[in-house]
Amino acid sequence: MAIAVPKRRLFGRTKRPGAAREALVGYGFVFVPMAVFLLFFIYPMGYAVYISRFDWGILGPLNSLGWKNYSSLWHDTLFRRSIKNTLEYTVWVVPAQMALGLLLAVVVNQKIRARTFFRGAFYFPSLASSAAIAAIAIYLLNVDGLFNKVFGLHKIWFYDTKTALPTIAGLNAWTTSGTMMLFYLASLQAIPTDVYEAAAIDGAGPWRTFWKITFPLLKPGHFFVAVVSIIGAMKIFDQVYIISRGTGGPDYATYTVVLDIFNTAIKDAQLGLAAAMGVVLFVVIFALTILQWAFFGRQEAA
Amino acid sequence: MSEPAAPPFAAVEELAAGEPVAVGSAGPAGIPGRATSERVQRFVAYTAMFAIALLFFVPFLWSLSTSLKPLPETANFSLLPHTWTIAGYRAALLDYNFERYMANSAILAATVTFTSVLLAALGGYAFARLRFPGRDVLFFLVLGTLMIPDQLRLVPIYRMLTIFPVTHWNLVDTYQGYWAIRMVSATALFLMRQYFLTIPRDLEEAAKLDGAGYFKTFRRVMLPLAGPALAAVAILEFQGTWNDFFWANLLLQSPQHWTAQVGLAQFTFTYRTQWNDLMAGTMVALAPVVIVYLFFQRYFVAGVASAGVKG
Amino acid sequence: MKGLPAFLLASLVGIVLIAGAQARVAGPERATTAKKTTVTLTGWASSAAETAALRTTIAGFERSHPKYTVNYAPINGDYPAAMLAKFAARRPPDVFYVDSNVAPDWMSQGVLAPLDKLIKQHHFNTKPFFPRLLSAFKYKGQIYGFPKDWSPLAMETNNAMLAKAGVKPPKTWAQLRSVAQKLKDSDAVPGGAPLCIDPDWARMLAFVYQNKGSFLNAKKTAPTVKSAAVRGAINYYYGFQQAGLSGTHDKLGVGWCGEALGKEKAAIIFEGNWVVGYMSDTFPGVKYTISPLPKGKVNGNLGFTVSYSIGQNTKNKQAAWTLLSYLVGKQGMHLWTQQGIALPSRSDVKVPSGRSAFLKQAGYAHPWQFAPRFSKVIDTANNELQSFFAGKESLDDMLNKIDSAARDALG
Repeated sequence: MAIAVPKRRLFGRTKRPGAAREALVGYGFVFVPMAVFLLFFIYPMGYAVYISRFDWGILGPLNSLGWKNYSSLWHDTLFRRSIKNTLEYTVWVVPAQMALGLLLAVVVNQKIRARTFFRGAFYFPSLASSAAIAAIAIYLLNVDGLFNKVFGLHKIWFYDTKTALPTIAGLNAWTTSGTMMLFYLASLQAIPTDVYEAAAIDGAGPWRTFWKITFPLLKPGHFFVAVVSIIGAMKIFDQVYIISRGTGGPDYATYTVVLDIFNTAIKDAQLGLAAAMGVVLFVVIFALTILQWAFFGRQEAA
Repeated sequence: MSEPAAPPFAAVEELAAGEPVAVGSAGPAGIPGRATSERVQRFVAYTAMFAIALLFFVPFLWSLSTSLKPLPETANFSLLPHTWTIAGYRAALLDYNFERYMANSAILAATVTFTSVLLAALGGYAFARLRFPGRDVLFFLVLGTLMIPDQLRLVPIYRMLTIFPVTHWNLVDTYQGYWAIRMVSATALFLMRQYFLTIPRDLEEAAKLDGAGYFKTFRRVMLPLAGPALAAVAILEFQGTWNDFFWANLLLQSPQHWTAQVGLAQFTFTYRTQWNDLMAGTMVALAPVVIVYLFFQRYFVAGVASAGVKG
Repeated sequence: MKGLPAFLLASLVGIVLIAGAQARVAGPERATTAKKTTVTLTGWASSAAETAALRTTIAGFERSHPKYTVNYAPINGDYPAAMLAKFAARRPPDVFYVDSNVAPDWMSQGVLAPLDKLIKQHHFNTKPFFPRLLSAFKYKGQIYGFPKDWSPLAMETNNAMLAKAGVKPPKTWAQLRSVAQKLKDSDAVPGGAPLCIDPDWARMLAFVYQNKGSFLNAKKTAPTVKSAAVRGAINYYYGFQQAGLSGTHDKLGVGWCGEALGKEKAAIIFEGNWVVGYMSDTFPGVKYTISPLPKGKVNGNLGFTVSYSIGQNTKNKQAAWTLLSYLVGKQGMHLWTQQGIALPSRSDVKVPSGRSAFLKQAGYAHPWQFAPRFSKVIDTANNELQSFFAGKESLDDMLNKIDSAARDALG
């Protein structure tokens, strides 16, 4: 069916027959999700943006501050440190997660024996809750714990300023690799088999097939995994909170942005300032996501 | 490469009902003299995979063994308990209302998973294949929701749920309130969209030729092919709800509404974590997620072949 | 629309309608039936024994006040977050815990109800309460809560190890130092260190008070961390680590100093009443002695305490007061503390056996609290202290940073 599709304009009228009906159907399909997102995400975000220009406690008076919250954040060494830590953590974790996830997905996608067993084993860390994982990790990475004993080391993994953040990054890479494996697996399964058959006929070996054919075809998958990984990494909180007991130590090594937001909002009850921090975090993540959108190419759906 | 396609519905249904097909290259085969080295290669590969699998597993073996120790013994780091006891399990299950917590978790996880899969599939398909003004903007909005930390949403959502707009319902401490805020997740929608983008268009176009409307195309063509993605969403949402602590702690406060995670938190105190009870409870809480995962992971089979191959 | 979407819409509408009906039936948070008034009580649980003791106390209340039932719903995990949400929604529980550390914030934000009127109305006697503990919950001359229990720091010493070194539990700073030295010389703590000392202001501040120093001035308007008294205390405290006489918990391979005592990696630790239950549950075989903290220039200690308070937006304050006054009254506090999981904050309630060393220090315990909006300053202070202990910065640098952070927060 060859119909010349005119250049799309965002809000212009496309001159195709049945476009109106398609648009209506489209809106209908996305209506409920968008309503949920509007109510429980967009509205709170708007609320946060509004509150960020005030000094507001829990019940106390609302004192207008203009942009002072933001300017104070600019000079706030603790906040700047938290941004630095969070970005550093993201750089550690995201490539590790993606690579590990892809590797595992490729492995369990093959026709191997005991495939179900391997799928289960590789996904197991992702099944447990972050609290459980943190508890297990604290135990195993103790100075006298199993990990040190097996490798003959004597490092204090979580409580040494140099190793604290990378250790948490390693822990999370291990934990979320299963989820990334799942995403990549779904993407791998969408690749039609005749693509591989054609490659085999052309005499391509497994390595070349993977890099020249499979990898590029996974582009929508890459985009998804990258975006989700980066967003998740920038929002890291649970493990850091449990492991550092909420202090972000040792010596600010694990002080992340969401931990700062948490402390500011909940312990200090400075909701305005916390909202400002949230807005800043949002802008940073948004910028990173736009970069990926451009890098992985816009997915033309029509 | 494409030949005239067979009626799409029949082919797809056949495929969807068919056997798991391995995707991915098998390497050059049938060359004499390669057999032994291939065997060695495979042995090495399997050993490596097994080692990695073990690495992923060992921490949980420790949890298991801790759950079988008496409390004083949890302080030392031995892998096997000296004294085997199920006191931890007895305490977790009997002294605390654990079956109730698990039941609550199950209800919530099941409802959230059901609506998530449904709404994400519908929405993902729309974002991937349908054209409507503002589609990309809305999609970016969806992505944007992922970037908002939960802590920021705490106060506005809690206030909203105490007096829900328009209807004035008090949804705090109710299953409905919890389900409402987690009814569908942006991640799931995002995943479905990306997945639908990779499905070749010929199938849909063929369906259109056959005169199918949008819903019929969705239901008869896209949905059966989306097995792996739907399974991924199901696993993700079930596990996400099951393991959620933040919102369950906030919104389900009466003990009869506690979920498994909130119930487990009873064993973790600032100084006196009762490791054996905690690990016993964790093991018990882990079981349903494992079962759901094993159930859904068999849908990870290749679902798409070119329309031209069969028939 | 046909087929699936219609079905979906119908089911959604159905669910929403059912949800609405249920929510309306569930009604407001507290129901007042013709016969009984329900009072909601919230807090956190620190141990199974504590929950059991609280339930005993609640049962006592319900027996002596048959017109009331108590709806006890503890918050597991994140107490401040859950309470913040409730305060912001103006739906606080009737009676709830307030940690002395967050009391300044909550009192200044106006989320707690001042109790003076109720005290007068019911002729409640506030004299038996230890004045220093009660002062933690006073703001602008009004009382906003009554301490339900408390604990200071004490010194716990391993009997066998001290015997091996031929020393008795020290009573002064000088004695502590020499005891630690003897413990090291006689190798009484193999694989560990004589003391377990952490870079934590929640421990070190007690030593600061003993040296006549403090973190803030009396009016809480300015920090006093740069004083010579504070310097002296920190140097003394840190001196143990410098001389190899102490280790931090992570270097000793434990989660906290209590565990060090249990695993016999340290002979002397400084912890509060919470360590007693921990030791008897987890390390029943280790024999130790509880003594007051060794005295510096003066006696000084920290008081960790939690109050029962009523919310400003609580609807039925009279009912809430009935419960609160019972819980912190003589009868209620006796039921709560008789098992020894907590120490009474009233002088007219008998102390459970073996806890006298804690109670002796009531006269000079300083409540663990600062000024509003100070929690990040304490985080900073602890992080800087860790940096100092790791040898990464000088004492002056650390104190300067803490001082400026405190000044920023105090405005």
